[in-house]
Amino acid sequence: MFRKGGESTSVNQGGRRKVHTTYPDGAEMIEEFDLKTDELLVRRRRGRTTLGKDTPWEYLVGEAPRTFAPDTGTLIESGANPSFTRSQDAPGSFVWRVRNLPYPKETYDVRCDHEAQQVVIRTSNKKYFKRFEVPELKLLDKKLEDAALSWDYRNFTLIVQYKKPREAVVAEIEEKKDRMQLAAKKTPEEGDVDCKQQ
Amino acid sequence: MAEGGEGVKVAEVKDLTRIERIGAHSHIRGLGLDDALEARKVSQGMVGQVNARKAAGVILSMIREGAIAGRAVLLAGQPGTGKTAIAMGMAKALGEETPFAMMAGSEIFSMEMSKTEALTQAFRKAIGVRIKEETEIIEGEVVEIEIDRPVTSGAAPKMGKLTLKTTEMETVYDLGQKMIESLNKEKVSAGDVVTIDKASGRITKLGRSFARSRDYDAMGAQTKFVQCPEGELQKRKEVVHVVTLHEIDVINSRTQGFLALFAGDTGEIRPEVREQIDAKVAEWREEGKAEIVPGVLFIDEVHMLDIECFSFLNRALENDMAPVLVVATNRGITKIRGTNYKSPHGIPIDLLDRLLIVTTVPYTERELRLILDIRCEEEDVEMTEDAKDLLCKIGHETSLRYSIHLITAAALVAHKRKSAEVEVEDISRVYALFLDVQRSTQFMVEYQEQFMFNEVPEECGDEMDV
Repeated sequence: MFRKGGESTSVNQGGRRKVHTTYPDGAEMIEEFDLKTDELLVRRRRGRTTLGKDTPWEYLVGEAPRTFAPDTGTLIESGANPSFTRSQDAPGSFVWRVRNLPYPKETYDVRCDHEAQQVVIRTSNKKYFKRFEVPELKLLDKKLEDAALSWDYRNFTLIVQYKKPREAVVAEIEEKKDRMQLAAKKTPEEGDVDCKQQ
Repeated sequence: MAEGGEGVKVAEVKDLTRIERIGAHSHIRGLGLDDALEARKVSQGMVGQVNARKAAGVILSMIREGAIAGRAVLLAGQPGTGKTAIAMGMAKALGEETPFAMMAGSEIFSMEMSKTEALTQAFRKAIGVRIKEETEIIEGEVVEIEIDRPVTSGAAPKMGKLTLKTTEMETVYDLGQKMIESLNKEKVSAGDVVTIDKASGRITKLGRSFARSRDYDAMGAQTKFVQCPEGELQKRKEVVHVVTLHEIDVINSRTQGFLALFAGDTGEIRPEVREQIDAKVAEWREEGKAEIVPGVLFIDEVHMLDIECFSFLNRALENDMAPVLVVATNRGITKIRGTNYKSPHGIPIDLLDRLLIVTTVPYTERELRLILDIRCEEEDVEMTEDAKDLLCKIGHETSLRYSIHLITAAALVAHKRKSAEVEVEDISRVYALFLDVQRSTQFMVEYQEQFMFNEVPEECGDEMDV
């Protein structure tokens, strides 16, 4: 569902199948799958500003690398802060993890904001706050449902789960078929690029 | 500074906030005109040149209206009569929003770039596009700033942490060098509400937080109180800003994909990219998304351009996207570079015909005095009236630039004899130490034979050939 409307090429590298998609408006997406288990490890995308500048990568799945040069950079969130990532899907649900949260379980409050169609994490001590969308639901044009959302707090980590709706499961299966086709066009070897003739 | 005579050297504390140095034209803050475009005698660092300033004012209102494209102005006058000062004044008067590109005529001669490319880039630097763009900003109230200075100065980089909060959350940020400097420069302290542009690191102070309004701080009358921001610290916001066409060119001219390996970094921008961008800008204008802000291109020492550049300018001025061109020269009738023809100001007649010519005239002794007063203040030098009179006389007999250069030199001499004020003796001392052009020429004429390569008298050369 993410690759719709774009041109995809796939390459196998370092034990990962990397799928690169470009869209007509200049946006790009890179997905990385484990070659053995076919799990989605990273999905990141970036767009273009009106002036034509690339926006920074937005990590939909996986963790963004911390790149910061103190000599030339401006500022970056310190490693001591809670870190928010979307991790690999559990069977049947999307999973987000907020690591490095030292406050007791009663502090947290996770719920759907139906107006903005976002999941909101609040803390009663006003230390952490996060709003995020579920991009799959947005693409499938589905609304958030309170019943599908659940959360737990263990080992300084807040784990938020959202049960995948039927449509998302179907779309994922189809996408996998697509991807296999893309890879099967020519059996790619390590480092081979599926590159079209100009 | 004056009481440092104890024999103990106290290391001077460098003022971090003043990063700009004092330049030849740093005292100029505008053109010094009133609302009716009449030139005030002394205002915004400008003195005299009443007619030239009035003319510049008329040009300014033409630029501000923005309707007329491709006009050109020539500032002509003897050296040291304030041509560059008037151009600087125009730039200051136009404000930050209007693009003002400044270059010297000789800048276009480069090995990396063709002359016309350099001129085209300069033209495009002088045309702005006002457009709305979404950027990522951080908006919050400062809880704490912590900057560790390393014990050994110099080598180790400074480390810093900044804690920001909103009504809902709190985050600690690691700071880079640039950020630490701009936090210092903006004098940000705990309790300020700030926005930070994440990419450029630009800080904007919105005001003090209401929560801090009861602290007994000494604060100015203009301190504004604002609410602590809500929601997440990182936000996407639409900001309206002016970018030049050249900046858009650069953004879009990166070679993409594997072609980047082969493209030489010549700094030239392909014409297709420019065409594409012109089309895009035209589209935005039609949709009402963007506005054109025509600016000013100022070319100093314009006689350094050659005949090819002049004919390029002729053509470029006819484009309806052309900015207002201001050129300056201190030459009289001289050769046009690249030809053997002579022409007024070294500019071909056909281009001269397109220019509105503004002349600057030498300063009178009274005006010189006023300029020296302003410069003394700008360079932070105290001077007695007698010393100023003497300096003014020197300026009148030699040149304004020479007398301005003597100010700081004399101040240093006065400082050495532990006087806070520059007196006549200091001026005469530096006058003896440093030659002006006239005296230097005189010296040369007298002692020419004793310099290098004069071992053989010139008349002898012919005899030797025989």
